[in-house]
Amino acid sequence: MNDQSSHAKVSRRQFLKASATAGGGFSLSVFLPGCAVLGNKSLSDEGRWTANAWLEITPESEVVFTLDRVEMGQGTTTGLTTLVAEELNIAPDTVTVIYAPVANDYRNPEYGLQMTGGSNSLSTSWGQIREAAATVREMLMAAAAEVHQVPVKQCQAVDGVVLVEGSNKRLRYGELASLAASQSIPSNPRLKAASEFRFIGKQNKRVDIADKVNGRTEYGIDTEVPGMAYAVISRSPVLGGKVLTFDATKALDTKGVVAVFEVYNGIAVVAEQYWQARKAQQKLEIEWEEGPLATLSSDEMFQSFKKTALEDDGKRVRDDGDFDDAVDAAARVIEVEYQTPFLAHATLEPMNCVVEVNEDRANVWAPTQAPDLARIAVARVTDLSPDDVDVNVTAIGGGFGRRLTQDFIEEAAAVAVQAKRPIKLMWSREEDTQHDWYRPATYHKFKATFDKSGSVTGWDHQIVAPNLLDWYIRDAAPAQYPWAPKFMYGTLGSIGLAMQGIAVPKDETAIEGAVSMPYNIANIQVRHTHADIGVPVSFWRSVGHSQNAFYVESFIDELAHETSTDPVLFRQSLLKDQPRQSRVLELAAEQSGWGKPLPEGRFRGVAVHKSFKSYAAQVVELSVEDGAINVHRVVCAIDCGTVVNPDIVKAQMEGGIIFALTAALYGEISVKNGRVEQSNFDDYKLLRMNETPVIDVHIVESTESPTGVGEPGVPPLAPAVANAIFAATGNRLRSLPLRLT
Amino acid sequence: MKIAVNGVERVVEFEPDTPLLWVIRDELKLKGTKFGCGKGLCGACTVHLNGDPIRSCITPVSAVENQNITTIEGIGSEESPHPLQASWVEFNVPQCGYCQSGQLMSASALLAKNANPTDADIDSAMSGNACRCGTYPRIKAAIHHAAENLKDS
Repeated sequence: MNDQSSHAKVSRRQFLKASATAGGGFSLSVFLPGCAVLGNKSLSDEGRWTANAWLEITPESEVVFTLDRVEMGQGTTTGLTTLVAEELNIAPDTVTVIYAPVANDYRNPEYGLQMTGGSNSLSTSWGQIREAAATVREMLMAAAAEVHQVPVKQCQAVDGVVLVEGSNKRLRYGELASLAASQSIPSNPRLKAASEFRFIGKQNKRVDIADKVNGRTEYGIDTEVPGMAYAVISRSPVLGGKVLTFDATKALDTKGVVAVFEVYNGIAVVAEQYWQARKAQQKLEIEWEEGPLATLSSDEMFQSFKKTALEDDGKRVRDDGDFDDAVDAAARVIEVEYQTPFLAHATLEPMNCVVEVNEDRANVWAPTQAPDLARIAVARVTDLSPDDVDVNVTAIGGGFGRRLTQDFIEEAAAVAVQAKRPIKLMWSREEDTQHDWYRPATYHKFKATFDKSGSVTGWDHQIVAPNLLDWYIRDAAPAQYPWAPKFMYGTLGSIGLAMQGIAVPKDETAIEGAVSMPYNIANIQVRHTHADIGVPVSFWRSVGHSQNAFYVESFIDELAHETSTDPVLFRQSLLKDQPRQSRVLELAAEQSGWGKPLPEGRFRGVAVHKSFKSYAAQVVELSVEDGAINVHRVVCAIDCGTVVNPDIVKAQMEGGIIFALTAALYGEISVKNGRVEQSNFDDYKLLRMNETPVIDVHIVESTESPTGVGEPGVPPLAPAVANAIFAATGNRLRSLPLRLT
Repeated sequence: MKIAVNGVERVVEFEPDTPLLWVIRDELKLKGTKFGCGKGLCGACTVHLNGDPIRSCITPVSAVENQNITTIEGIGSEESPHPLQASWVEFNVPQCGYCQSGQLMSASALLAKNANPTDADIDSAMSGNACRCGTYPRIKAAIHHAAENLKDS
């Protein structure tokens, strides 16, 4: 996306709208343009004026910023508020932040959906929010100039007050608010130069954590509404199975139980207390129709992927040079296979949702990353239309992509309809692990060719993986085609898009980070063989990059060793046209002491990967003892353009590395007889403090526009660990999780 | 049945096998204590029983009758934070924040018994508390910092 060009399409008048508020304040509505990737063409290029960020200055001088993204811990609240504060020249912690209600006006311009994901909050809002705040600042200054009858250039806005130079005249922002609203909107508000920044790049505090250390932050699971009962659902132990028959007699006899009934995907138990619902649930007798996945196992799935890879060459998604010619001319060809398992998200706050359904309206309280899709989820199982549904987004106990899928909200609404009272649906940890929408299991094949001198001449990468949008479009399409009747919700993905004459959105989730392989090799082909086994799949922190970096950065490491070249030097020799990739690699290598001796038994591995427009390199230092992998240190270099909050960037790298190390060492969801074998943190382990390495983060200084930080810390970690294990043992581990025994 | 929570005696009517967690959250409305796993594996539900950290998700309410329970709401407030809470803010520890009540309860029990914990002491006291956002390095630094502050005061 190019901020400047999309910006230019919208005239200033359409971009901003100033108005006086009823109470004598000043509000500014801002349209944040962007490019749509999910097929919605209305937002940026129809020229329609849409407000999706609001700034308001009250007569009491309170600055209120309506934030259209959700906070999952990634730091968006602090980051975007800092932009507002910088241009209004006030401290970020003096800004009051309101989380936006569900409304089309608050859709993420890059997706055309009200959604937080893809590490793009700063990159899509960087120019626009500063410009909006600078506009407000200039209008406040113009108002002050009018009051004092001085030229506007003598007025300065500082810390909530407009001063007149060389005098003691001063008026608070609130005192100027209503007059400011009547000023003409400046056509070209002056943004601060980087040298003038007081907070951008310097602010290290978070504005959202005081309540998080007092236990006062209200997450979805903490919601209570009058008359509420508690609900749990027994779902099919076999993925995709359905209820055949059930007997609720014993469950209904349990103390506190209000009702037991069938919903679309299982049997719901509703009780006055949560524990009563759980006890009753154990007494349910259910026979399941196990469905088509009843015999599925992970081993069989990988066998079928292997077979598919041979039978179907796949779609060529990148074709540089001619790989076949490279094979014909090669002195040597190597061929290897890799695979990665399904992964669950394991947010620490399990799925939960409170729903109240009335005759003509529903209210939802939920920790969701996509509130307008939550409305559709409710509409799907009620007589209501999406517009009849209000969604209150609560604080969110970890997202990582899990809460982009609205299944838990759909379930809660289906229960509330039959319970005829508000209910809080809660998932157990076991249910959360066994009924997730997983990071897909994938299988990859590589071939590389070498000439007589031993140089690499060709790279062939075959990706066998599903497309995530095939699953997601069921949720997302109705939000983009509000004209569609509900009976079409299930088919909008293909029919709905076709009716609008729009091609099915390009789905990069399987190939991202592989198709953009950065190394300069003469003949490169990347192929995608579509394979979907029917297990629900979804976005998992860093999505396709989370696996494709493991594949690409492991195989490039193999090529370095095949050519007897140092892994850093080998990469650098092929990254001459990629200065930012090359720079982070250099920085991580330098800071880790790459090439310098290590204590006995310690070994290093390296990886570099671009994702979400940011560049990250990591060097892992580990030892191997009796087959146990001990990661001691991770050095990370990150280039995410201009840094708004350095400590949040560091925190996201630390968190990304720990999240990724959990997956690299432990992460595996396996399926047997159609059932997920893992259930809780004893068999789906999370990394603990005593296993956490020392993490050093180094940020590349940059004046480029800011880019993502929530996800880019994840991708390089697994390959860097695998590459260090190779250095330590000579074992090339080509599947995750990394196991030596 | 009577239990003392944060210094206040409370009478609760729950079936005796109900985990303490749900009594604290749903009856006493102290929502700072969180549900994470239901099996004592993640520590999100950590509270103090007579000063010792326990997992309230696997502790039947009958087992704590007439005893003293402390929850996150009982260790400090915004006006008068526990030194660990102040240190948590200073080190920007929380991300999503969901596990942090449990982390703080484990950490405060540690500091009450060991004013000068080593890295190994902290690892041993804190490794039952999982954090999916990966805030462990900051938690460790914040515990050391709070311990230093307590020494100075």
